[in-house]
Amino acid sequence: MSYTTTAHHDAHEDHPSGIMRWLTTTNHKDIGTMYLIFALIMFMVGGSMIMLVRAELFQPGMQLVQPEFFNQLIGVHALIMIFMALMPAATGFANWMLPLQIGAPDMALPRLNNWGFWLLPPAAILLTLPYILALFGIGDGAIATGWTFYAPLSVQGGIGVDFAIFAVHLLGISSVMGSINVIVTIFNMRAPGMTLMKMPMFAWGWLITAFLLIATIPVLAGAVTMLLTDRHFGTHFFDAAGGGDPIMFQHLFWFFGHPEVYILLLPVWGFMPQILQTFARKPMYGYKVQVYSLWAIGALSVVVWAHHFFTVGMPVPALLYFMYSTMAISIPLAVLFYCWIATIWRGSMSFETPMLFAVGWIILFGIGGLTGLVLADVAADAQYHHTYFVVAHFHYTLFAGGIMGIMAGVYYWLPKMTGHMYNEKLGKLHFWLTAISFNLTFIPQFFLGLAGMPRRIPDYALQFSEFNMISSIAAFVLGAAQLLFVYNIISCARGGKKATDQVWEGAQGLEWTLPSPPPYHSFTEQPVVK
Amino acid sequence: MAPCMADYRVIARPNCSLSPRGRVAVVALIASFSLLVAIGFSLIGAWLVLPFAGLELLALAYAFYHIHCHAEDYESITIAGDHLAVEKRDYKNVSQIVFNRYWARVTLRELPGGEQCLLLRSHGKEVEFGRRFMDNQQRIALARQLKQRVGVVT
Repeated sequence: MSYTTTAHHDAHEDHPSGIMRWLTTTNHKDIGTMYLIFALIMFMVGGSMIMLVRAELFQPGMQLVQPEFFNQLIGVHALIMIFMALMPAATGFANWMLPLQIGAPDMALPRLNNWGFWLLPPAAILLTLPYILALFGIGDGAIATGWTFYAPLSVQGGIGVDFAIFAVHLLGISSVMGSINVIVTIFNMRAPGMTLMKMPMFAWGWLITAFLLIATIPVLAGAVTMLLTDRHFGTHFFDAAGGGDPIMFQHLFWFFGHPEVYILLLPVWGFMPQILQTFARKPMYGYKVQVYSLWAIGALSVVVWAHHFFTVGMPVPALLYFMYSTMAISIPLAVLFYCWIATIWRGSMSFETPMLFAVGWIILFGIGGLTGLVLADVAADAQYHHTYFVVAHFHYTLFAGGIMGIMAGVYYWLPKMTGHMYNEKLGKLHFWLTAISFNLTFIPQFFLGLAGMPRRIPDYALQFSEFNMISSIAAFVLGAAQLLFVYNIISCARGGKKATDQVWEGAQGLEWTLPSPPPYHSFTEQPVVK
Repeated sequence: MAPCMADYRVIARPNCSLSPRGRVAVVALIASFSLLVAIGFSLIGAWLVLPFAGLELLALAYAFYHIHCHAEDYESITIAGDHLAVEKRDYKNVSQIVFNRYWARVTLRELPGGEQCLLLRSHGKEVEFGRRFMDNQQRIALARQLKQRVGVVT
């Protein structure tokens, strides 16, 4: 008798229990869970900060906080939401679902995976520690430059900038580790028969995300290191008086920063078609064209960065190039929208919570995309730049397009992860409260921006009072609604109706062939994809 | 797997969906773009991007090199005639232990985490099997099969 058994190398069979299980784990599901819990905690921390900001902006004049503290809240809120909520949430899904979806027993480099996660909590501490230190008279609080670190303001800032620089370095290392792991896993550990063009769309989304991270993180790391040396070691990279160029910082930052938008969105664009096809009970429309569109968007995302600072002063040919290349992104994105809508078109749809979030996501993310086209226009951007129009636009892309997408993913996969069904009524209530309050928060901000209210200010002219009041009240509802989300997740993890293996009637993919929750080691026999 | 003259043979090895040339191609593709970006920024004065890109690409290349080194690793049990041979390959190191089939003992030992460790032993020699490439259920199933084929059962 002769037979071969194939599995991948994983020397983490005898896992410890208790706290040591989580500190030392190399299991992809444990690490995925830690990423998701971390993201949820930081989402609430970052959200709390912005509640304070909206409380301050509830009416004109200075009410609750000092302007310096207000600036710190704005910047740290953004850094937390981008680097510590959205990115870890997407990485959590990658850890949980990529091995399951491609038929691998684990991620390719499990120890690197553990290390990648455990860099995040120190980064979170570094970013927020200056708030605590300031209470003891050390320093002047956290970074107050906004998340963009623009020089020369950041060169002159307090110790919060230094803490943020090191936090960004840790986050960057963590992202690169995660990306290397994703690339190696997807290329090297697909089950027999799973060719690249048979991979689930989520794997494609994450593969392109990983490529973008590998290409852009060194640029961010270099930029913040140059900032650090300007601050402490006498260099003049960004100091015009010393022969440097402050605008170069903007180029460096946004060469990373714009692809970062797609880094946050591509994983969502990956799993959202899977959710749509599940609840439309129809095959995904245009798989190949979606893959090509994801690649096109990924490629274009690294050549459009300067549209973030049209107003800084650039030659007209550069303005035209960045305007047209930015607008070109709308073509593959429109193809994606077409495919998403065609997937659910005349489908046998049912509207469980993940589908509600998915359909809401298409509409709201669509608004985010369309308002982005407005900002891509050089002439229009001269008026809208640095106004609340921009704030509303990027919240439609990153909250609706990113976080609401992640929420759809959480509701979609939570029964698979925990083995229990969540409370559907509570989920639907969470969706409606979120969708309505989100629109009521940010539609007024579009109008505020059109009327000329600048962003990142703690006080404003009387003419903006009403819209700010509406926006603040809605923001409080939006914040409170997320407590339902947290409650629903916790109660689902603790118990509830037993989930079936298939969970959703129309669900397709290898992860749904496993029990709910999947065993500690996923595939006892290697699946073969036909 | 090629047919062999053994009475029974089991090989546990990792699944690698990427060929050695594919590994080089993936690293080269990523490195060329990343270096293009880093060199471009270096030329306009932001030379500190380059060392970070270099470090990152070294890490990427090492990850693929690590996979490459261990792609051919395996653990095998071959039962032929009176012999039971356990062979293990870890990168370039190949080790083999041969037991007498009728004296060999197959044991499952429970580890603190509840997982089972598959051991083969005889005449004071002991070797663990299936730790790297098999999961718990696979080891239990294999132990059951082996116990039917070796001399002394515990």
